[in-house]
Amino acid sequence: MPSAFRIVGQRELALLLLCLAAGVVFVALSPAYLSAGNVAAVLRNCVELMLVGLGITLLLAMGGIDVTVGLVLGLAAIAIGRLLLAGFDPWVAAAAGPLVGLAIGLITGAVVVFGRIPAIVATIGLLGVYRTAVFVALGGQWLSGLPPTLSAIFAGQIFGIVPVSYLVIGAIYAVAWAALRKTPFGLHLLAIGNNEERARLAGIAVKQVRLGVYAVSGALCGIAAIFYISTYRNVEMTVGSTLALDAIAAVVLGGTNILGGRASLLGTVFGVLLIRMLQNGFTLIGLPSLWQPVVTGALLIGALLIERGLGRDVLRRVTLRAA
Amino acid sequence: MPQTTATHRKLILLALLFAAIVAGFSLYAPRFAQANIATSILQFSTLLALVSLGQGLVVLSGGAGIDLSVGGTVSLSAVLAMMAVRAGAPPALLPVLAIGCGLLLGLVNGVVVTRFGILPLIATLSTYFIYAGTAMALTNGAPIPGVPAWLLPFGRGTVGGIPVHFLTVVVPMFLLAAGLLAFTAWGRWVYALGFNERSARLVGIPVDRMRLLAYALAGALAGAAALVSLAWLGSARPNIGVNLELESLAAVLLGGIAITGGVGGVLGVLLAVVMIVTLKSGLQFVNVATIWQVGVVGLLLILSLLLDLLPARTRLR
Repeated sequence: MPSAFRIVGQRELALLLLCLAAGVVFVALSPAYLSAGNVAAVLRNCVELMLVGLGITLLLAMGGIDVTVGLVLGLAAIAIGRLLLAGFDPWVAAAAGPLVGLAIGLITGAVVVFGRIPAIVATIGLLGVYRTAVFVALGGQWLSGLPPTLSAIFAGQIFGIVPVSYLVIGAIYAVAWAALRKTPFGLHLLAIGNNEERARLAGIAVKQVRLGVYAVSGALCGIAAIFYISTYRNVEMTVGSTLALDAIAAVVLGGTNILGGRASLLGTVFGVLLIRMLQNGFTLIGLPSLWQPVVTGALLIGALLIERGLGRDVLRRVTLRAA
Repeated sequence: MPQTTATHRKLILLALLFAAIVAGFSLYAPRFAQANIATSILQFSTLLALVSLGQGLVVLSGGAGIDLSVGGTVSLSAVLAMMAVRAGAPPALLPVLAIGCGLLLGLVNGVVVTRFGILPLIATLSTYFIYAGTAMALTNGAPIPGVPAWLLPFGRGTVGGIPVHFLTVVVPMFLLAAGLLAFTAWGRWVYALGFNERSARLVGIPVDRMRLLAYALAGALAGAAALVSLAWLGSARPNIGVNLELESLAAVLLGGIAITGGVGGVLGVLLAVVMIVTLKSGLQFVNVATIWQVGVVGLLLILSLLLDLLPARTRLR
């Protein structure tokens, strides 16, 4: 079906098939996998990663990276929680999430862009700083006992079936798709990812675009924090410790180029789904959850090795034909 | 030696910062300026020093070289070596097992980066989670006791106030590395491929093999750090390597090695290691919560890179 390939893209179709295959295998191993409760749990667990993964998609496509996303979500969640405890209106508290995320994203972006520091080194340094910040903001103990007012709005369903979270996610992905494919911003972002120097010479405001994408990624972590708080109603000390790995793995599986220049939003959606399906499935068949980062790390490097292996094969064939 | 004025300026700043830290803590808490605090600082420095030497070689040899998996390598080498001994391997082989595990894990990084051409930061980010996660999952987070008694003096003894492992491993390793980098063709190759990869390839330097070697050495040094941790603590702790990627990067960059590779030396790294550990010990000494240490080291890492902006600006004007 060449037409379907062209619309969806082979990568995305392959991922969808992988998701289905994983589903079939896990159902065979554990019938509970397909129960309505478990399917709902998997979809629920995808929510934060969908939003954080979208930010990572934009960052990687631009040739950037941010390993602090889990802690940004944590800091935004703490802000929301503190405001709820202080008795603020849930809408005001919720608004604080994206604002705090945006502010931290701007700080990260400023360090990377104006400090002219490689993004990975800068964000590893900031990882230490933000970890201390989370500890200080929590005051050494879990944030818990939050009122359910926020959950009533954001953890519910519309018409009793469509989760509010997925309506928000759908709207945000639609905006991101439009921005990426239909506006100069998207074109500039991909151009910077392709070749930053040429993008600058072509007159693109490289610094502003890069700073903007870090800010957007931070804000997305802040929106994810709203759903995190609505669902769990607490913030623990180790909040978001493997979120960056999960997000980078999902995005790379989805076909976004880690060197920049290519983004696939649909690929990220399926990548997130696959990772959460696997984590849930492995837990159901009795693999201790401590193995989860090992599985995700192996998935990330496995995807890259296969990609590289295939790429090399194709290259060899083309060279042979040319010779 | 390819040391630029920027490196020299950084080393002078590093020495000044070090002096300021020691002076500051000594004034604030006079008991800090005692001889036995120096012993304790060196005792805590060994792990970071060995890991930072490996990190330094990886960064120095360029190609966006970075090893985020060092902490995971230390933890997993300690755990695997100890599990092998408990499963019946001769305890006398513990040193070989620990260093061998580290070497193997480093080789995996090197092969993934050089043979498959995967971006080092992504490759070693993945292996960090694989190594650290495996160490945690194999042990359920609990330390494995049972290090043979004959190994403990290596980890706990001192000679003239200097810890045995610092004297017998760290000092010789750094001197050896500094000598090799400064006086041998091998050393000049490392600088060459960090400084300009294209030219290095054109003059026939085996770029990929050199980088593979750098990652393998970083792994072996992390294995040696694992061995020191076994001899010191008497057990294999699955979380012994936590935060070492951040601290080793901070030591490497504060020590004057350029993040783009090809510039800097390892003796500055050793000075930076001792400074970082002094700072951490000082914070502990004046009862600042340990969680502040990771934030302070993170800030140091960023500040050391912001310093690079200064010479560039003066040159423009």
